[in-house]
Amino acid sequence: MTFLRRQLPLLITFVMGVVFALQYYVPHPASEQLLTTVNKWLQIIGGFALILGVTSLFHQHAVKIRRREPGWGYSFVLYAGMLLTVAIGLWVNGKETSNGTMTAFGWVYTYMMVPLQGTMFAILAFFIASAAYRSFRARSREAAVLLVAAVIVMMGRVPLGEHLLPISGDITEWILNVLNAAVRRAILIGISLGAVALSLKIIFGVERAYLGGGKE
Amino acid sequence: MTFAERMVHIDRRIIFLVIGLCTLLPLLHPVGLAINVSPEVRAVHDYIESLPPGSAFLLSMDFDPASKPELYPQAVALLRHAFKRNLRVIGMTLWVSGTGMADQVISQVAREMGKTNGVDYVFLGWSPGVGSLIITMGQDLYKAFPSDYYNQPTSSLPVLRDIRTLRDVNYVVSLAAGTAGIETWYVFGKDKYQFELGGGCTGVIAPGLYPLLRSKQINGLIGGLRGAAEYEVLIDQRGLAVAGMDAQSVTHFAIIALVILCNAFYAVIRTHARRSGQERVGRVAEE
Repeated sequence: MTFLRRQLPLLITFVMGVVFALQYYVPHPASEQLLTTVNKWLQIIGGFALILGVTSLFHQHAVKIRRREPGWGYSFVLYAGMLLTVAIGLWVNGKETSNGTMTAFGWVYTYMMVPLQGTMFAILAFFIASAAYRSFRARSREAAVLLVAAVIVMMGRVPLGEHLLPISGDITEWILNVLNAAVRRAILIGISLGAVALSLKIIFGVERAYLGGGKE
Repeated sequence: MTFAERMVHIDRRIIFLVIGLCTLLPLLHPVGLAINVSPEVRAVHDYIESLPPGSAFLLSMDFDPASKPELYPQAVALLRHAFKRNLRVIGMTLWVSGTGMADQVISQVAREMGKTNGVDYVFLGWSPGVGSLIITMGQDLYKAFPSDYYNQPTSSLPVLRDIRTLRDVNYVVSLAAGTAGIETWYVFGKDKYQFELGGGCTGVIAPGLYPLLRSKQINGLIGGLRGAAEYEVLIDQRGLAVAGMDAQSVTHFAIIALVILCNAFYAVIRTHARRSGQERVGRVAEE
């Protein structure tokens, strides 16, 4: 049993990790065919992961409803919404339109999901304005520099700002293309090196958190 | 409580009202200020202009309804431009929740431009896998999408004639609201299959993509609603994005004014606190 839970996954990770790290540099048709086949497997597994995610969500909210935890009513609404949408989606084979006319699934998507998601993110603008008012204070020199840069970029990114202060557009372009790009590049390189290190640790079995057991 | 302290702790509903009015009024009474086009947006436009008619253009609409206000106008502008240039348009999405919206935008613009599904454009829809999907498309497009969104076999569609893999696509643009998006297309697609890649994204993630732009990993970037407005100006078809720029201008200035006011009140509070502290110390020393 330990072999199936520990050794076998580690062996598969090692073999597949090494093979596909090398595959990138091998242009032979057999290598390309192997890549195509394994990617098709990945897509199939990805589809199963979707089912896993939904099942996990169902289970989590079922526990909340059964135990009558605070907010269990919302879990009930989630259940109802999910089951109804799945039922309608299956009934019309997942299509939003059929022969040019909107299906019930399309109606749920267009008149419920799209406005609800859009509204959720639209109200962020109000909270951002309130948060900016309360917390965007020049408490130190660095904060003052950040504040000035933010004001210039906010001005430079809108037509009114460029109309009132034409140079704000050029300064904004410089901040984004030079200062911002340099710093983001440094962060990206750091993240990428970290990802390479973590990948090597996973391939060689040093990092085993994905097995659920942690390092040994 | 002094006036400055009361203002610093102002009810946030007043701020919400100010922002609401700053967004609504310019939409009702537009001003129409000139919009300057940035080099990164012009780069995407000029590349599409340079493609000969019949070239394959893949538009990956990698966003969900939450990012519709910024990315939907970008998609409309790009599709109008591509159809005007008589390019063969291949639409798809890496985000399952954006499939319906992506289908709506491509169908709507195609109808407007008099284009035929299967002949001038195809909507492939969504397939699971993200990175592995892109790799599969790079190896064999018909294995990744055996049928399109309307269950038509892709291998029999005239629009996909001579297109076997991503190497045969002339230009790919990913309109991204996050991950999976432009970086995914670069890492799993362009780096291996060597097609030209451009990007469109929300304003929030645009600064993070400038390293890719500066190193020419993407040839252009349309950032946020401003980028969409610039593109509409370039194709001379002003739409939702240009209409939204006045509201965005006033809202930005409202936030700038609020931040400056807050800092002014904060400075007053600090000065007052310092003076009170000095007076107290002076009184204690005298005693």
